[in-house]
Amino acid sequence: MASAGRDERAWVRGAQAGSASDLEALFRNHWPRAYRAAYLVVHDAAAAEDIAQEGFLAAVRALDGFDRRRPFGPWLHRIVVNRAIDWARARTLRREVGDETALERAPAPVEQENPRELSGGVTAALAALSPEHRAVIVLRYLLEYSPGEIADLLDLPRGTVNSRLRRGLDALAGQITVEER
Amino acid sequence: MEPELGRLFLTAPVPDELDAQRRAWNVVRAAYAEREPVRHRRGLRPILALAVLAVLVAAALSPPGRAVGDWLRDSVRGEEPAQPALVRLPAPGRLLVTSDTGVWVVQEDGSKRRLGDYGDASWSPRGLHVIAAQGRRLVALEPEKGEVRWALSRSAAVRDARWSGGGLDTRVAYRSGNSLRVVAGDGAPDRLVARRIAPVAPAWKPGDEHVLAYVDSGGGLNIVNVDTRAGRLVTHGFESARALVWSPDGRFLLVVTKVRRHPILNARGRPLRTLELPKGHVLVDASFAPRGDVLAYTDFAPGREQGTVVVHDGRRARTVQSGEGRLEDVVWSPNGRWLLVGRPDADQWLFLRSSGSPRIDAVSDIRREFDPGGEGAGSFPRVAGWCCVP
Repeated sequence: MASAGRDERAWVRGAQAGSASDLEALFRNHWPRAYRAAYLVVHDAAAAEDIAQEGFLAAVRALDGFDRRRPFGPWLHRIVVNRAIDWARARTLRREVGDETALERAPAPVEQENPRELSGGVTAALAALSPEHRAVIVLRYLLEYSPGEIADLLDLPRGTVNSRLRRGLDALAGQITVEER
Repeated sequence: MEPELGRLFLTAPVPDELDAQRRAWNVVRAAYAEREPVRHRRGLRPILALAVLAVLVAAALSPPGRAVGDWLRDSVRGEEPAQPALVRLPAPGRLLVTSDTGVWVVQEDGSKRRLGDYGDASWSPRGLHVIAAQGRRLVALEPEKGEVRWALSRSAAVRDARWSGGGLDTRVAYRSGNSLRVVAGDGAPDRLVARRIAPVAPAWKPGDEHVLAYVDSGGGLNIVNVDTRAGRLVTHGFESARALVWSPDGRFLLVVTKVRRHPILNARGRPLRTLELPKGHVLVDASFAPRGDVLAYTDFAPGREQGTVVVHDGRRARTVQSGEGRLEDVVWSPNGRWLLVGRPDADQWLFLRSSGSPRIDAVSDIRREFDPGGEGAGSFPRVAGWCCVP
C-alpha cells in the first residue's frame, strides 16, 4: 500500500514535469474504478465514460497546482461521483421537460438501463435506489472509503452517510442473499 | 455481506469498459499534450497573438490586390499525385461529413460510417456526440453507430445546430425558422433566445461559460450568456455577415461577410481589426487552428477562377495552395498540423501540411466516396469538422 502511494506520488510528480508515460500510469491505475463507480451510479455506459473522462480532464487542468502530498484517488473520486449524482438527477429532470414542443425520447439503450446488463444481481437492486444512495454505497463498497471520508467527499453530515448506507444495504441485502444461493 | 458486495461491484458487467478506457485516454492524452506547450511558452503567447494582429493590420492596410498577391509568391511544393480513394487521414481524429446521401463519419483509417439521413451536422466539442438536423427535428447521435440519443421536434425547420460544453453542462443552440433556441443537457427546458435572427449559424464562445454569438435580423451582432441572459452585447452593422468564427481561446471573433472586409472583434464584440481581401476576392471559409494563434482561410477570385488557401502563422501570411477553381471548406486537423480543403471542381479533397516542409495529399472521387453504389453526381460533400477523438 505504501509502495502504491509512492508510485502514485511519483506519477503525479512525473506528469507535472511533462511525462506522458507517468500520466498514463496514473490514468491506467485509476480509470477502471472511476469508470465503474460512475457506471454504477448512472447505469449508462456513455454517460459514465463522459463523467470519468471529465474527471481526468479536470485533473490535467489542475495538474500544475496539485499538492503531491495528497492522494490522487479521493480527489478524482470526489469529482466523478458528484458529477455522476448530478447526471442521474438531471436525467430524471430531463424526462420531465415540458415545452410547447414534443421531446422525443430516443429508443437507444444509452438513455435506458440495459435490461441484460442490469437484469440480475446486485446492480439491478442498486439501480432501484436514488442516485444519492447509490453513490454512498459505491463509495463505501467499491472504492472502500470510510463513512467519515464519504461525508467529506460528498459534503454531507456523517449521520446522513450512515443512514444512506443502512437503507442502501437493506435494499441490497435480499438480492445478495439470492445470489449466494 | 459487505465484502461480498465489494466483490460483486468489482465483477459486475460494465459495458464497453476497454473501449471506453481507450477513447478516454486518447482525449486525456490530447488535453495533456495541449497543456505542455502552454506551460513552457506562456510568455510567447501574447507575442504571437500580437503578431497575428499585426499581420492582419498589414493585410487591412495593403492596397487592393497586394495583400493576397504578395502571398502568391510562395510557391506550392510537395504536391503528391492524387490518391484515387480515401484510404487514411494524415492526422489523428475523425471527420464529420455531410453529403446528399446523409451524414458520415470518416475514421482515421479511411473507413466511413453513414449515421443517417440528416441534412446538417456538427461535432460536440470533444467528439462524443454529433448534433444533426432532419427537417423539423434536432437529433443528438452517438458517432460510432449513429444511434439516436435524443431528439427534439420543432414546428419549423431546424438548422445550424451547434453544441457547447460536455457531459452535464451541455447546451445546443440551433435555428428553427427565424428564431434561435437553446436546449440544455441539464434538464432545463428548451428555450427561445431570440425571435428574429439572420440566416447565420450561431457560434459558441469557447470556454466554460455558455456565451453565444449570433446575428439578428437587423444586422446586430449579439454576444450573450444564454444561462444568465446578463450583459447582452450588441454591435450593429453586420447585415452582410455570413459566418461567425471564434478563436479557440475565445479572444477573437472573426465575422465572415459577403463583402471583402471581414471584421475581427474581441470577446465583447468590439472591432479590433479588419481582414481585407483585394477587390473581386471572396472569403469562402475561415478557421482558427486548435491553438488559436493561427488563422486559415480559403479565398476565391471569381474573375480569375482562382482559389487560394492562406495561413497566418503569427509571423507572416503565406499561401499554402493556389490554383484554378474554387476551394471551399477549410478545416484544421485536431493536432493543428494539417488542413483539409474541399476542391469541388476537381472532385477532390486536399490535405495540406500547414507546418514543416510543404506537402499536399490530394484525394480524388470524393463525391463517389459518399455515394457508394451511386453515380457520385450529387453536390460536393461538405466537411463539417475534424474532431478530437481518434
